[in-house]
Amino acid sequence: MRRLRRFDPVRWMALVATLFVVAVAAGLVAIFAVHSLPVWRHSGSDYLTGTEWFYRAARFGVLPMLYGTLVVSGIAIALAGPLALGAALFTAEVVPERRRLWIKVPIELLAGVPSVVYGLLGVLLLRDWVYRLLEPFEPLSGDTLLTGGVLLAVMILPTVMTLADDALRGVPAAQRRAARGLGLTTAQTAVSVSLPQALPGIGAALLLGLGRAMGETIAVFLVVGRRDNQWPESVLSPEAWVAAGQTLTSKLGGSETFIAYGDPLHWGAIAGLALALTLLVAASSLVGSRLARRGASGGSDA
Amino acid sequence: MADAAEQVLAPDARRGARTDARSASDTSVVRRAAGETVIELSDVRVEARERVLLDGVDLAVRRGEVLTLIGPSGAGKSTLLKVMNRMVELESPPLRVTGSVRLGGCLDGRLDGRSIYEPGVDADDLRRSIGILFQQPVLFPASIRDNVLFGALHHERLSRPARRERLEKALREAALWDEVHHRLDEPAANLSVGQQQRLCLARALAVEPGILLMDEPTSALDRSAAAAIEALIGRLAEERAVVVVTHDLDQARRIADRIACVCVEDGRGHVGEVVRRGDPFFDRLCRDTVIATSRDERPRPARSDESEEQTG
Amino acid sequence: MRRAADRLFRVATGACAVAACAVLVGIVGTILWKGLPALDWDLLTAAAGETFGTGGLAYQILGTLLLVATAFAVATPLAVGLALAQASYFVRRSARERVRLLVQTLNGVPSVVLGILGFVVLVRYFAWGKSWLAGGLVLGVMIAPTMTVALAERVEALPRRYLDAARGLGLTRGQTVRSVVLPQTRSGLVSGALLGLARAAGETAPLLFTAAVFSGATIPGGIRESPVLALPYHVFVLAQDTADAAARAHLWAAAFVLLAIVLGLALAALPLRLRSSEEARHG
Repeated sequence: MRRLRRFDPVRWMALVATLFVVAVAAGLVAIFAVHSLPVWRHSGSDYLTGTEWFYRAARFGVLPMLYGTLVVSGIAIALAGPLALGAALFTAEVVPERRRLWIKVPIELLAGVPSVVYGLLGVLLLRDWVYRLLEPFEPLSGDTLLTGGVLLAVMILPTVMTLADDALRGVPAAQRRAARGLGLTTAQTAVSVSLPQALPGIGAALLLGLGRAMGETIAVFLVVGRRDNQWPESVLSPEAWVAAGQTLTSKLGGSETFIAYGDPLHWGAIAGLALALTLLVAASSLVGSRLARRGASGGSDA
Repeated sequence: MADAAEQVLAPDARRGARTDARSASDTSVVRRAAGETVIELSDVRVEARERVLLDGVDLAVRRGEVLTLIGPSGAGKSTLLKVMNRMVELESPPLRVTGSVRLGGCLDGRLDGRSIYEPGVDADDLRRSIGILFQQPVLFPASIRDNVLFGALHHERLSRPARRERLEKALREAALWDEVHHRLDEPAANLSVGQQQRLCLARALAVEPGILLMDEPTSALDRSAAAAIEALIGRLAEERAVVVVTHDLDQARRIADRIACVCVEDGRGHVGEVVRRGDPFFDRLCRDTVIATSRDERPRPARSDESEEQTG
Repeated sequence: MRRAADRLFRVATGACAVAACAVLVGIVGTILWKGLPALDWDLLTAAAGETFGTGGLAYQILGTLLLVATAFAVATPLAVGLALAQASYFVRRSARERVRLLVQTLNGVPSVVLGILGFVVLVRYFAWGKSWLAGGLVLGVMIAPTMTVALAERVEALPRRYLDAARGLGLTRGQTVRSVVLPQTRSGLVSGALLGLARAAGETAPLLFTAAVFSGATIPGGIRESPVLALPYHVFVLAQDTADAAARAHLWAAAFVLLAIVLGLALAALPLRLRSSEEARHG
């Protein structure tokens, strides 16, 4: 009865905000799905499995870009994961409480550096370093998938590290104390008490980092070379990794998005890219956060 | 008084063979004669950032005896206990210990005559030979078997039969074998709190420590679970030294061979009287003196130490 | 053996941590080193020059500030609403979980996708053309999750007795929120906002199709066809053509100004965040 009688601003605010966000999320998926219909009608499953993208010839295949995205973010996770885990182990297990901030604060600031600044450093420094590194293999330029991957590794490092640190610190301090009381060293405690219990959370950290890497646009755009139709003969051959390529985001960030809008088919192909990217990223972050939730509840049960 | 005498006798009866010819009054005398000193604290001072927690502590612990630390909460009993295995250094912020804490006959005599706080002493090795049991049972999310062997397997390579033997020995010593031997692979978290605490005891024993420290080991338990632990303590002291912190004076009288009172003066804890069983002062001490004087003498509530004990 | 393994562990993990921090020092150091020489008063106060990569950054800075302010105005009510929608005191558990999931999902959407959505809906469907408002809206939606998380943490950490006391005095939910919840969680709102704004100030991808142009815009007069210059977009465009040495110097300086704005906002949030995490730990 009270609810009917009185206007409740809390309920109202919460409701409006939630509905707005629901509308954005649903609208996003719906719009890109509907807009991409023409390309599905035109190409069918070739859209996903095709390796060629020539929009003037109305041929749209996203596989090379999917490949580029996976390679770039895979390199990023492979480089950033171990480093971030090591740093997280250091802050959570080794460093005394009061000195943690000496590391946590710079890392948090690192997370705030804009991606265009990373991109700029990539263009002006990293590109040349990669070129010199690859000189024996006679690369065409320093703009390669590898360059993009290294840059992304630096960018996702803070995310992965902060989340892994949270996961490790979620392990009750009493457990560490009990292990130390049995005469285990810091390292033994970290490896056989903290790490196993924090594993779901660390998995989540890696997945959320992967999601960020896949969705990052600007920095990758500037260093990845943006060459279409780079489909390697063998998917695992590292030769393609040290050559220019295209990712989903670098394609979407390019001028083709502008050009395409008037043409339903071409725009459909672009909308399909956006949809694929969103689903990839959403999947990895949803699985990641579910994993983190499970890890957190599992830890407190035990 | 008759009641008290019975309680004094009770644990001795449980100690079996060794108590045969002994009366309550000469227990500790006999034991002390049998046991050498395994820890000797002299002029120990413990400082937190700006506060002295303990000062001028002299105390000796001998093999074959149960030494009980009593005193008002916040006096630093737990801190004193953790001084003995350097766990004070794991507190945050770490506490600073000066003075000397010498071990005898531990770590194969490697540390004999040296203070454990000297540089070069490996604190992890030290803790390996000094087991500790906390207020609350802390289990690892694993099976009963893995919990018991957790420490031991980190310290030595054990063959399968040796593992099995170690497991059974530790569980028997902790009086838990009969209750769990048929379900060793079940998660340890399924046990009752009292069983969990005995499991933690078994885990500490499986490392085969020469000294066992207990920080209010029964305060989180109900009466019968507490009684089960108490019943064990005397027997555990046969081969090693046992130091028990307790706030329960009756418990101290039941289990102790000697009682050391940690009192507060000028905000600093120190060890006042050390009374051995059989001393006419033994019973009176706990009941009247300590509590009365220390309450009066406490200039301010000793916050930090107490909160550490509670939350830790 | 054991000792050596322990030492190795400490050294190896420590090296990881130091390396991670060194990256930050390297980045900030490089930008400082290269950008500082080109920085002068004119750069901050003059309009852009006739040719590519010359002149000042005044309108780029103003444009970025305008975008950030718009994003703040959009994100704040959203974040407050979403944080209240996850507050355990007001909402039942199942609904709370769903809102949390929603916020996480939104947080996961790549910024370039949000930008293209803004392009489709605002720029084309509403026919605003490139507009500061479109960019601000997209940025606001983008940073709302960051602010929500920071605020919701503080709301959750509120001692229940405060709320009980307020309700016990006969305050309605609305009055409780206004007189207890929001004042008590202001530090969360402010630190979340600062962090979100730092992100908004540095983002480029959502602006590509919605708000930013490289030259020819000043202060926007309306909504339709009123693009702005923006600092990150400026850096982005210049970074694609770095052959000219003079343009490079200008570029470094622009990156310096951008980094200063962003890290300034993040640093301003830091004390509040540290204090609130301290409070959360000690209850």
